Amino acid sequence: MSREAILNSVKKNKPELLPLPEINEVKFKEDVDLKETFKNNVALVGGNIIETTVASIDDIIKAQYPDKTNIVSTTNKSKLGTISVDKNTDPHTLEHIDLAIVEGELGVSENGAIWVTASNSVVRALPFITNDLVIILNKKSICLHMLDAYKVIDNRERNFGVFISGPSKTADIEQCLVVGAHGAMSLSVLLV
Amino acid sequence: MNHAKRATEFNKDEAKVNWHDKALWYVREKRDKSAHNVQGWEYLRQLGSEIKANVLSNLDEYLIQFESNAKKNGVHVHWAANAQEHNEIIQSILEKHNAKKVVKSKSMLTEECHLNPFLEDKGIEVIDTDLGERIVQLAEEPPSHIVLPAIHKTKEEVDVLFQEHLGTKPSQGNPEYLVSEARKHLRDKFLNADVAITGVNFAVAETGGFVVCTNEGNADMGVHLAKAHIACMGIEKIIPEEKHLGVFLRLLARSATGQPITTYSSHFNQAEEGKELHIVIVDNGRTEQLSREDFRASLHCIRCGACMNTCPIYRRSGGHSYDYTIPGPIGSILSPGKDLKKHSSLPFASTLCGSCSNVCPVKINIHEQLYKWRQVIVKEEKQPIVKKSILKTAGMVLSKPKLYKIAGKSARFALKHAPKFMIYNKLNAWGKARDLPEVKGDSFDEWYKKRKKNE
Ligand code: SF4
Repeated sequence: MSREAILNSVKKNKPELLPLPEINEVKFKEDVDLKETFKNNVALVGGNIIETTVASIDDIIKAQYPDKTNIVSTTNKSKLGTISVDKNTDPHTLEHIDLAIVEGELGVSENGAIWVTASNSVVRALPFITNDLVIILNKKSICLHMLDAYKVIDNRERNFGVFISGPSKTADIEQCLVVGAHGAMSLSVLLV
Repeated sequence: MNHAKRATEFNKDEAKVNWHDKALWYVREKRDKSAHNVQGWEYLRQLGSEIKANVLSNLDEYLIQFESNAKKNGVHVHWAANAQEHNEIIQSILEKHNAKKVVKSKSMLTEECHLNPFLEDKGIEVIDTDLGERIVQLAEEPPSHIVLPAIHKTKEEVDVLFQEHLGTKPSQGNPEYLVSEARKHLRDKFLNADVAITGVNFAVAETGGFVVCTNEGNADMGVHLAKAHIACMGIEKIIPEEKHLGVFLRLLARSATGQPITTYSSHFNQAEEGKELHIVIVDNGRTEQLSREDFRASLHCIRCGACMNTCPIYRRSGGHSYDYTIPGPIGSILSPGKDLKKHSSLPFASTLCGSCSNVCPVKINIHEQLYKWRQVIVKEEKQPIVKKSILKTAGMVLSKPKLYKIAGKSARFALKHAPKFMIYNKLNAWGKARDLPEVKGDSFDEWYKKRKKNE
């Protein structure tokens, strides 16, 4: 292995130590309505955003996605799940999942992203392999920007987590934006 | 063949060049809008630059810290001095898993190491899963842009390619139809893959974890279905602490496409139960670049592609004209460090307008480095591959370092003051037959005369 060679070469060639800057967060301070900005940004990145109550979650999802039959719900806030999963589920069996309903931990107002952890999705592949995705988010769990987001999620079990901002998309054919590349074809965010 | 000759090839299809030019400029404009929405954007760039400078000055320590934290999480860490070793490490991991089918998400490093042909020679199927990369893979071409790999292809060309390789119906290049067919085709590949390979956008020394950014979700589709995940990273991908992701993820997508963040920013720290996670840390010329004081800042690069989108030469000459894995302005300062002779025309594929440095999210002084490479090349290459006449056109500005300095400093300088003769010179294929966006104000001559008086 070239470990030593690389490290020695770095040591030999690197410049004198330069300081790591302090982040002066005052410079990023903004007086915005977190929830409204978040909602606008979820829409901007191609997601649907619906404000509702916990009690109405299932009605809203049924109205939004009337034809779904293979549904996985990993949250007790929705009873619509027709297929149950646990952490030993082979992700290949999720190939035909129409709809996944998961909870998100944190929303980021500056970009509409939502932090979803491995435990939120139970099977890591779920929010990607599903045809459509619903994320339920507490409207109090919205922060201003990514710097704040990392403070909030700092204290966690570090295995896998993902910020999801909108449905999967591509512009690789002549820069035409097409929603639904390899991941979910649509994303609905339910703020409760 | 030098850059200008290859650019001439690209310019044979004028309609396509015009489209290419406009499409990239549009991406640049989206970047501007997106950046202006961020309170403290310039400070954010400053932070990005300073954090990267700190990283390079302490890189060995950070790499050791990263390795030890990754190992604590059960991650297998490998080190590769060069492309060959990188490829062999990957092959050995694949052998261990008896893997015959591999899905790969975007990684410029594996392009740089020519991993695909290496594995294909060994009978392994490697599928690039980013749509743009899949398109160029089917066309048997390299990517022409680091973020938009197939930007040089028209939708009609994609249509024909898909008919041939995926058995699609002729659709006159209907993007929705073509994407949905690609989705089906690649789903099948994801579901049957043994191992997934990804690149790394940022690796965090403090936690031993790393982040991969995609819009399509292809990295995650590959990783979460396969038995093992191999992530390949250049040594310069390290950042000190997790909180610094807060700086870089704010910069990356906005600079790249104008999105506020990529659709998926996936944070990998541990493998899923029963699976394996490998990281390959690669040098391949990076420590050498680190030794070059004038050029080491090129290692700050976070591969956003903004310098390509804004470059008047790149937009008119296309990524393939650079004949290097990383094209455009950043490629033109990285490539001479790898092979000065082969890439000696690239630092001249620039007007030195400074637009690249102005958009770069980590504030690399790209155009100044281009200028410095020119000096090295003129000195070291006895018989300059670069035509003397090109040097002459650029000569006046370049021979006056002070003047050049002023030119480089101002953002407004960009096109407004780029000397016309440099852009429209007959030798410059990218300047032929079309006009650059109109810029009002002094002509270069007037400006130059005024400057002369003040000197
Ligand atoms: S040099 Fe700067 S602008 Fe160019 S790709 Fe790298 S980070 Fe982006």
